[in-house]
Amino acid sequence: MAFLFRRLAFYLAAFLAAATINFFLPRLMPGDPIQLMFSSAGAELPPESLEALKLTFGFVDGPLWQQYLTYLGSIFTGDLGRSIKYFPLPVTSVLGHALIWTLVLMGTATIISFILGTWLGVMAAWKRGSRFDVIVSVSAIFATSVPAVVTSLIVLFVFGFTLDWFPNGYAADPSLDPAFTLQYISSVAYHGVLPMVTLCTVLIGGFTVTMRNNMINLLGEDYIVMARAKGLSDRRVMLWYAARNALLPTVSSLAIAIGTILGGSLVTEVVFNYPGLGNVLYQAILARDYPVIQGQLLIMTATMLVANFIVDVSYVLLDPRLKAA
Amino acid sequence: MNQPLLSVKNLTIDYIGDETDFRAVDNVSFDVAPGEVFGLAGESGCGKSTIAFAISRLHRPPALIRTGSEILLDSREVLDLNPQELAAFRWREVAMVFQSAMNSLNPVLRVEAQFYDVLKTHLGMTKAQARERTAEMLKLVDINPDRMRDYPHQFSGGMRQRIVIAICLALGPKMVVMDEPTTALDVVVQREILQRINELRKKLGFSVLFITHDLGLMVQFCDRIGIMLGGKLVEQNTAQAIYRTPQHDYTKKLWASFPSLHGGVLA
Amino acid sequence: MKTLLRNRKALVGLAIIATIAILAIAAPLLTEYNPATRTGRPHQAPSMDHILGTTRIGQDVFARVLYGARTSLMVGFGAGLLITLVGTVLGIVAGYRGGKTDEVISFFTNMVLVVPNLPLLLVLAAFIGQASPVVIALILGATSWAWGARVTRAETLSVKQKDFVKSAEMMGERQWRIMAFEIFPNVISIVGINFIGSVIFAIITQATLEFLGLGDPRAISWGNMLFAAQKASALSVGAWWEILTPCFALAFLGIGMSLLNFAVDEIANPRLRTGNRLGRWSLLVRNGEGRL
Ligand SMILES: Nc1ncnc2c1ncn2[C@@H]1O[C@H](COP(=O)(O)OP(=O)(O)OP(=O)(O)O)[C@@H](O)[C@H]1O
Ligand SMILES: [Mg+2]
Repeated sequence: MAFLFRRLAFYLAAFLAAATINFFLPRLMPGDPIQLMFSSAGAELPPESLEALKLTFGFVDGPLWQQYLTYLGSIFTGDLGRSIKYFPLPVTSVLGHALIWTLVLMGTATIISFILGTWLGVMAAWKRGSRFDVIVSVSAIFATSVPAVVTSLIVLFVFGFTLDWFPNGYAADPSLDPAFTLQYISSVAYHGVLPMVTLCTVLIGGFTVTMRNNMINLLGEDYIVMARAKGLSDRRVMLWYAARNALLPTVSSLAIAIGTILGGSLVTEVVFNYPGLGNVLYQAILARDYPVIQGQLLIMTATMLVANFIVDVSYVLLDPRLKAA
Repeated sequence: MNQPLLSVKNLTIDYIGDETDFRAVDNVSFDVAPGEVFGLAGESGCGKSTIAFAISRLHRPPALIRTGSEILLDSREVLDLNPQELAAFRWREVAMVFQSAMNSLNPVLRVEAQFYDVLKTHLGMTKAQARERTAEMLKLVDINPDRMRDYPHQFSGGMRQRIVIAICLALGPKMVVMDEPTTALDVVVQREILQRINELRKKLGFSVLFITHDLGLMVQFCDRIGIMLGGKLVEQNTAQAIYRTPQHDYTKKLWASFPSLHGGVLA
Repeated sequence: MKTLLRNRKALVGLAIIATIAILAIAAPLLTEYNPATRTGRPHQAPSMDHILGTTRIGQDVFARVLYGARTSLMVGFGAGLLITLVGTVLGIVAGYRGGKTDEVISFFTNMVLVVPNLPLLLVLAAFIGQASPVVIALILGATSWAWGARVTRAETLSVKQKDFVKSAEMMGERQWRIMAFEIFPNVISIVGINFIGSVIFAIITQATLEFLGLGDPRAISWGNMLFAAQKASALSVGAWWEILTPCFALAFLGIGMSLLNFAVDEIANPRLRTGNRLGRWSLLVRNGEGRL
């Protein structure tokens, strides 16, 4: 319990760090920070809205610490300002809407590739040196080494354009109204296939390799040998003794991988024109919509911290040695 | 000697390397009678554990048991057992205490579960029956049965070692292989454990293959002893003979490196 | 180094990287075209004149991919070096000095590890404006050292206990000399793994940032090629050569680097090595010379 509380405090500090970067970055750049942050809006922004934005981002008259506190105040009351490109939509609603799509895409892909990759890694380690192992290991190397941009573009080219099996963009048929109807949901699933396949390809290799290496290291452990000596079936030794224990370090590597997963899904969304964070962000970058760009750092950091916390909790649940501590 | 329980004949084991092979065990033969304690002694790396592993067929590639080797238990060829027979044979007939017994319990499973999987696999016991048997076995090695729901890390090294011994005896095996069961323990605990094993052996009647490089300990504990050097069994004889009239130069050298042997034979 | 050359994965990996490097250096000999200027009609399919076709504004794709390799390699290795340098120094100092220094460095390391890297880079790059390859390498170096620092610190902690370090301390050796001449040579394998991993990361991230439009569009690089092609909707208009060429170049380089990465991993952790043994073992079993 104490362990989890310590983690929580640490995450709060990390979130604060991300906010601090946001605060200082425009102020450290040459030139007028206000000009820099809101100039892309041109003359379109009504003066009173500009004033409100300046307040949100801490551009108030007063010393730096007062500006800083003002900015933190707006963040912790959930005010991330308004998007300039999509004015007058608040950043939270622009990003919040997109975040749902990203989480669905990323979450499903992570779960699928984690389960599949872990399983492949277990089998490959168990059949060490066999043809299965060689094929799995080499494909894993290839899958992990190709950047997500490249994988997305190639998948899109082959299955979207050349074979034309799947749609080339969007999360659902634009002519349908979003609703919990079978038609809409199946359209979402159909549109989700290619980005999902891409993300899984990008992620699965890493899980496979991690699990395989952990398993191989574990298979030499004494308690595995003892489990075999006990006459337990191979299946039981492999799953109940080896895989279960190898999962621990794999789960903790998952925590570190979440950042990479986020990055991969951003890029994939851009390529497939998927309405998640990545795409919103891409549009924001092209339009130099700084409030949105800054907002995404906070939202992504928060997402990452929540995911890390979930990993922490499951780690504690999986490892009795931690539970006592 | 009447019909031996374990009979190892011409056992040769290689570790296959990228270019050349390493002969870890070279044409070793010895017998162990029912109820007997047979000791294998020799310096580190001479192939003792490699023999122990072969008896339960625990080796994995790149270890290779060369054709022509025989391991007979109760006149049955262990090397010919098929996977089902092997699974039934392991632990039921030959159980094993590993060199690092302290680390041979699964850290994420309760002690109880590590008894239960043996009892269920081999005897088809229910959870309740297994719990009863576990309590009985733990008492045998002086561990409070109330602690069976604890995890291994909650026990001391010596206690873990005794738990492993209890798991070993849970099925009443004919033979127990003990690969340096007491290294890493202090002398007092070491004695206690050996004493306990000896009592249990007398009560339950299993044979022991006892492996160590501590000759002094071995002479006190074993009926007969084999001395190994670089994968070969260079001498085997009764404990008394090995102690009083060693034949092989290497055995003599081993004794010379032992300044004094204190204490008599274990009761 | 010798063990590295005996490893098949390492050999293939090195061969791939060497090929790319040679092509990049020899670019002016291999193509007559200037990669930056228009040399043909827009979106010409591959032909004898333009082996890999032309871009939307009529630049030669082959010339761009060759010259782009220079940027990718330089940013990759430059940023990789920088990331490794920062990570190694921080890791060794934290691990060796311990105490308050360690606490502070470890706190920052862990913090950087939980702030998602790409979003952070996006913010930085967005404020900097059109980031040139050099700037990209610098910000990568500044933000991506945490993993290396963490593993180097862990390794330093175990090396620190060794006798030769203790005896150097007894002889009153200066701290920085101990770190540089006693600790560093003994954590070199971790540093190697860190370096290769960082190069891979830098290459991928540079391409990603540029693809997202954060790079300086005048720089000739694979990421910018992807950005331009995406903006020109190259796939929709059927100009697959414009997009697939940098894709395959990146994939090729990535595979080469990863093979090297896995080889170094295997060398550092012998348990992972498969080598010849298992093949010879199966052969012997098949020939009936032994069993388990
Ligand atoms: N997996 C392996 N691959 C290659 N060689 C091995 C392997 N395992 C053991 N060996 C070698 O086989 C020889 C015998 O090892 P073994 O473990 O049987 O020694 P031991 O007599 O039990 O020594 P100790 O008293 O230190 O436990 C050693 O020289 C060792 O280097
Ligand atoms: Mg041994």
